[in-house]
Amino acid sequence: MSIATEREIAARAKRPIRFGVLRQMVDRRSDYLYVLPALIVMMIVIAYPIYYTIELSFFNTPSNLQMKDKVFIGLDNYARILTSRSFREVTMNTFIWTVASTFFAFLLGLGAALSLHREFLGRGVLRAVLLIPYVVSAVAASYVWKWLYHSDFGVIGALAVQFGFTDRPINFIDNIHTVLPSLIVVNIWKEFSFAMIMLMAGLQTVPDQLLRAAQVDGANAWQRFWHVTFPHLKGVSMVTVLLLMVANFNAFIIPWIMTSGGPAGASDIWITQIYTIAFGRQRYGLASAYSVILFIVMMTLGYFYVRALTRGDDTRVK
Amino acid sequence: MSMVSTAPSRRRRVKIDPWRWVGRIFLLFLLTFTVLPMLWMVLTSIKSQFAAMQYPPQWWPAEPTLQNYAKLLDPNGSTGQEFLRYFWNSFYVSMVTTILGVIVAVPAAYAFSRFTFPGRTFLFFSVLLRNMFPSVVFLMPLFLLMRWMGLVNTHGSLILTYLTFGLPLSIWLLKGFFDNIPIQLEQAARIDGATRFQAFFFIVMPLSTPGIIATSIFSFIGAWNEYVYAYTFLSKQDSMTLPVGIQRFFTEFATDWPGLMAATFLMSVPVVVLFLVLQKYFVRALTEGAVKH
Amino acid sequence: MAQVVLKEIVKQYGSLYAVNNVSLTVEDGEFVALVGPSGCGKTTTLNLVAGLLPMTGGDVLIGDRNVTDLDPKDRDIAMVFQNYALYPNKTVYKNLAFPLQMRKLSKAEIDTKVMDAAKVLDIVHLLQRKPRELSGGQQQRVALGRALVRDPQVFLMDEPLSNLDAKLRVQMRTELKRFHQDLKATVIYVTHDQLEAVTMADKMAVMSGGFLQQYDSPKNVFEHPVNMFVASFVGSPAMSLIPLEAINTGGKIALSSSEGWQLPLSEANSKKAQTASTSKIVLGARHSTLQLHKSKESNSVPGRVYTVEPTGDVTFVQVFLGGATVIVSLDPSVDVKSDQEVWIEFDQERLHLFDGETEMALTDP
Ligand SMILES: Nc1ncnc2c1ncn2[C@@H]1O[C@H](COP(=O)(O)OP(=O)(O)OP(=O)(O)O)[C@@H](O)[C@H]1O
Ligand SMILES: [Mg+2]
Repeated sequence: MSIATEREIAARAKRPIRFGVLRQMVDRRSDYLYVLPALIVMMIVIAYPIYYTIELSFFNTPSNLQMKDKVFIGLDNYARILTSRSFREVTMNTFIWTVASTFFAFLLGLGAALSLHREFLGRGVLRAVLLIPYVVSAVAASYVWKWLYHSDFGVIGALAVQFGFTDRPINFIDNIHTVLPSLIVVNIWKEFSFAMIMLMAGLQTVPDQLLRAAQVDGANAWQRFWHVTFPHLKGVSMVTVLLLMVANFNAFIIPWIMTSGGPAGASDIWITQIYTIAFGRQRYGLASAYSVILFIVMMTLGYFYVRALTRGDDTRVK
Repeated sequence: MSMVSTAPSRRRRVKIDPWRWVGRIFLLFLLTFTVLPMLWMVLTSIKSQFAAMQYPPQWWPAEPTLQNYAKLLDPNGSTGQEFLRYFWNSFYVSMVTTILGVIVAVPAAYAFSRFTFPGRTFLFFSVLLRNMFPSVVFLMPLFLLMRWMGLVNTHGSLILTYLTFGLPLSIWLLKGFFDNIPIQLEQAARIDGATRFQAFFFIVMPLSTPGIIATSIFSFIGAWNEYVYAYTFLSKQDSMTLPVGIQRFFTEFATDWPGLMAATFLMSVPVVVLFLVLQKYFVRALTEGAVKH
Repeated sequence: MAQVVLKEIVKQYGSLYAVNNVSLTVEDGEFVALVGPSGCGKTTTLNLVAGLLPMTGGDVLIGDRNVTDLDPKDRDIAMVFQNYALYPNKTVYKNLAFPLQMRKLSKAEIDTKVMDAAKVLDIVHLLQRKPRELSGGQQQRVALGRALVRDPQVFLMDEPLSNLDAKLRVQMRTELKRFHQDLKATVIYVTHDQLEAVTMADKMAVMSGGFLQQYDSPKNVFEHPVNMFVASFVGSPAMSLIPLEAINTGGKIALSSSEGWQLPLSEANSKKAQTASTSKIVLGARHSTLQLHKSKESNSVPGRVYTVEPTGDVTFVQVFLGGATVIVSLDPSVDVKSDQEVWIEFDQERLHLFDGETEMALTDP
């Protein structure tokens, strides 16, 4: 409409254009007040430590923690870590620990979610019971399982003997071959119900109509799962797997309390290794460099996490 | 079960769905896997130390005793005193963290939900990304920071840390709740004579109570269960929280397994009760954001 | 009650002008309907008057006060929202009492005022219910009640009837009109249902694309639309618009179609047509001013019936004519069929001419 455009031009000419970023920030300064408390706390406890870790990773720090005596050594810390023999072993352990825990926790969670999807008597109670391991502290879980695995009086070993699998109680966590799988079982016990609850929520978003339509079209249970249910779970599954991976990567309590990385480093993962270097050997610089490496891996995972979380946003109908 | 419930008079029998049986067997397996360790914990906790250290084990305690619990909860005994002290410390730290967390997270979440200021998206994701960082990355610098601030061996160090690490999730959760409250309600309130703050306080806050409850449970459980920072920041016995305390306490000499199991049990009671009572909110908090409805 | 003046108000979202330089004056006690298609900026305008959005530019005056920089709460206005915006956790009573509480009235005063408003709106029996336990019409009444308890200077209403079913809407329309007459209230009423606007309003403000197109009494807007947008937006069914070519036939103007026929214009209309900036002229006619003939008559132009839509009292016939579709209303007893040849006669007194370039109505020079 030509009448409109003329006036539009007039309006544009008359009014200063007001959407510079700075201008907006000034205009909306009161909005920032709401975020400010959160921001300040995060600054102190998150931004500063990240900066400081990166800084320390280039220094040789004295074991008395008097940081004014630290010595700049460039990338030496990184070089030391990457060339050390234990690094490969620990990385391998970390990889196995993370991938196996995530995989099995997800698998058990998926099975549980699918089995619990249908309404039946006691479903709510069952869900609650399965969630208890996720809620209790990992410290509690570690002690309980340590006792279950006990080499002399552990109930699992005793049961194995009882049912004739072995003739002597098994030494689960003092054996370099069985220690890592044993810890992974504990981890799965602790977190599979997280996957379960996420996937149950995801299953609720699968439209019943679609499943019924597929049934009418002659799809059997497996085909319905594969062609209808599973595609709907993709988004949730992505997020769940990523969250599990992050949690497992960062898991410290179970390996630390149960074995402290032993025996002979067979259950040492990055995080326990860093802790030992920092607080056992008081070598903050080296541990910081280790942390930065870990940090980079995490950021990569984080990138995918955010992607998985926000991908739905564009397509979502308001 | 489907066969039993089908009336015999009906001609067509309901087809047995094999997947349903696979599901049931699988659930039975999971239930066993989940419950047996907890059951053994409880059984051990009511044995004497002598009865626990036997091979083959007593499957069922021959002489069940509450001795271990009595010892832990006896305010006059030295064990009881220490345990109750840890318990109180844990409770205090978790409570303060939870309350402060709500006070800080609510306005921030509200801002993220309502305003479109520059940098909003950036801020939000930086808040979210915190979830990804391993605690050890923060452990060393925070330990130095706490030492510098004189907070080592105080509960303040833990509260500050938990508060921050709980915030991203709290904000994210609460934002979801605020998003569901129509902005017109606030507009109506402001026209009815409320200031922005009053509109928020009288109209939005009451409507977001479920979100605040969900957030609170989460922070409480998180703080109650936390170990790494407590382990690093606290070395004095009387400031320790439960997860750290029981470790030092029961492993000093030869491990007293029944005592440890009783302590573990008592340590789990508050969070499990909280979870069972407010399960609905907890589950919602857990899945919010990851699953969009 | 008070006068409301909008002075060149502008609201910008990024590069989008949601409201662009709108100026209008609502006199004390006037009922003004703000109409326009979806997304044209009606709600935004209302929110600017209410102070719910920061303005990019312009001023708002209520009574004698410039309220541009005042908070909503200080503007002394009441607003009824499209989805009612009742506080879901409060009872009807508390919903009505809230604006009074915010103004720190005493309990006794609040109680009297709430009861008075409840009586007027016949919702006394609902006072202890929560909003979700009410029907749409009842919710609407409560929303109105919340605006009413305070007796503000101006009422703003954002499509308050749009969520109701057709029958209830007609009923509430009557009640709203009655309420306006009783209270002598100044009302700005947003709607995209122009029937609502025509039946209730003293004046109509037609918006499109953020611009105010026309602001006048419904009668004038209907009879003298200022441009093609208003002509086609107001009236149901819409005014038929036929793009034609003006040719000079010895002093007089005739409109010629691509199909070959010519329509000579009357003296008065010729003068109007001569003011056009181009030879492209759009002819506009409302269905009731057109006559349909089944055989050729003088002054009529040929067309072909496209569809016949009987509605009961009148039958609407769409006719292909000069490359456009023209709607004619007929008595239901007249029998016409699709694809039938017909002749349409225009009423020279009541047809509209628009400039084909500027889309503005052509008026007497
Ligand atoms: N917060 C916002 N950010 C960006 N653009 C907006 C915002 N709010 C509204 N708009 C845009 O401003 C224009 C006017 O919106 P407005 O809500 O006033 O329309 P409306 O006339 O009330 O329409 P409807 O009849 O559908 O309610 C629309 O194009 C809309 O997309
Ligand atoms: Mg609107």
